[in-house]
Amino acid sequence: MSAILEVTNVTRRFAGLVAVSDISFTLGQGEILGVIGPNGAGKTTLVSLISGTLRPTSGDIVFEGMRITGLAAYRRARLGIGRTFQIMRPFPGLSVLDNVAVGALFGHGSGESDLAKARDKARTQLEFVGLGKFASQRAEELGGPNRKRLELAKALAMQPKVLLCDEVMAGLNLVEIDEVIDVLRKIRESGISILVIEHVIKAIKRLSDRLLVLHHGDKIADGQPDAVLSNSKVIEAYLGRRRA
Amino acid sequence: MTASRLGVAVAIVAVVAVLATVPLFSSDVIVQFGINALLLAVLAQGWNIIGGYTGYASFGNSVFYGLGSYGVAIAMVQWNLPFAVGMIFGAGLAVAFAFLLGVPVLRLKGHYFAIATLGLAQVMSAIVSNIGIAGQNIGLVLPPLNNDHLFYELSLGLLVIATLTVFWLTRSRFGFGLIAIRENEEGAAVMGVNTTLYKVLAFALSGVFTALAGGIHAYWITFLDPDSAFDISLNVKMIIMAVFGGPGTVLGPVLGAFVLSAVSEILSSKVTNLAGLFFGAVVVAAVVLMPRGVADVMRQFRTAGWRYFVENLRAHRI
Repeated sequence: MSAILEVTNVTRRFAGLVAVSDISFTLGQGEILGVIGPNGAGKTTLVSLISGTLRPTSGDIVFEGMRITGLAAYRRARLGIGRTFQIMRPFPGLSVLDNVAVGALFGHGSGESDLAKARDKARTQLEFVGLGKFASQRAEELGGPNRKRLELAKALAMQPKVLLCDEVMAGLNLVEIDEVIDVLRKIRESGISILVIEHVIKAIKRLSDRLLVLHHGDKIADGQPDAVLSNSKVIEAYLGRRRA
Repeated sequence: MTASRLGVAVAIVAVVAVLATVPLFSSDVIVQFGINALLLAVLAQGWNIIGGYTGYASFGNSVFYGLGSYGVAIAMVQWNLPFAVGMIFGAGLAVAFAFLLGVPVLRLKGHYFAIATLGLAQVMSAIVSNIGIAGQNIGLVLPPLNNDHLFYELSLGLLVIATLTVFWLTRSRFGFGLIAIRENEEGAAVMGVNTTLYKVLAFALSGVFTALAGGIHAYWITFLDPDSAFDISLNVKMIIMAVFGGPGTVLGPVLGAFVLSAVSEILSSKVTNLAGLFFGAVVVAAVVLMPRGVADVMRQFRTAGWRYFVENLRAHRI
């Protein structure tokens, strides 16, 4: 499997705090890579570094063989990197449909310049994530679970090559989690590589081809989900050291 | 939907046609009031682009106004060029200003942006007071043109173009980018919107209309000095009118400018101080009772009734 995204020795400091420390990994073409770790492990920082809303203090990020480390966020979006936000960021005053249409108008390539066509594409994505009947509502009127779906639809409308999902399952019930897993698998089948950050370990274990574990900004494990989850360092990070 | 849209379009064309014929049968006073109201509507519409659609509350639009005024005055008085060339020169100055100072200033958000732009107007007034070609602090006297009908039609034409431009914004990729920036700038950037470029372009577009209005006003009034050209209170007026009418809507700012101009005219003919007090009261009432402007009131009032105002009050937790 060739890598679509390569992260090499990336570090990000906030004043004295090292949020992400010397992390290297790759995301394969068509792969679903799960990233887990306790609160404050640096997961969201990692997504921000890849999507370009933050710049690394040091290290390199390569997308499809091209170095994107210093590129502005909008240019990365146009190259084909889409992300969702953990703290959902819809355009609150716009309709649900137009929220997604922004992704189609801009996004990968130079986007769709015709508004009517962009709205058609947006409608397709809304149906795909199951928000079709909410199209004309204002985004701020959506409830939590539907906002998560909206985040996905917005990112998908950009027709990305890589999708970075920041906790799209947090706060969802079991049925909703199953639905999202189903949607993410379909997205992968359409040829999009996915990096997914999650707290719900059961769900991410089922979904991911490979798991990456962060703890205090360090990578402590990377490999097959079953092997990683039985790794003693990982268990320690989540549950603490067993007293002998 | 389309039928009602066609109805609105026909109604607007009819209103514009009627407005265009006003000078034919009205007194000079009415025509002069009309020129003022139309130019204020252009200013409110210009502010609407950067403040209403892009979400950046600019106090620097009076700089554009001043640059447009001085562009016309300098071209006509110092260089003996025609009025049209002066208008282009003034608009060019506004665009140059938007690009030079927009790039650093538009990095600031919220109050910081407002304060920085407020400072720009003061600085520009001081600079122009020391430029010889601009008549320093004495100002410039333009060649008089006694043709109020012409100024009226020019102002109306400019307002129509400004409003059509804003209408185009609501259905174009560019306009969607601006709205996305207003709603959530970081979210817009990760979706591929070149936020810096779009903000500067919006600032420049806002500046062009504001400068053209300033140019028409300068030629009409025939006198210009730094204090009146870079007057902050004019900037406050355009914001009040846009916010009162409905920022981020196509017709709201025009409506706001017309209504407030009329009320202020009536008040100031009775007691001079009342007009100033009135604008203060309008700001408070508009922000508290109808934060989305008259345009939104007209849309929602039919279904929500008086509850509309109560709900806005509650939203402010007063």
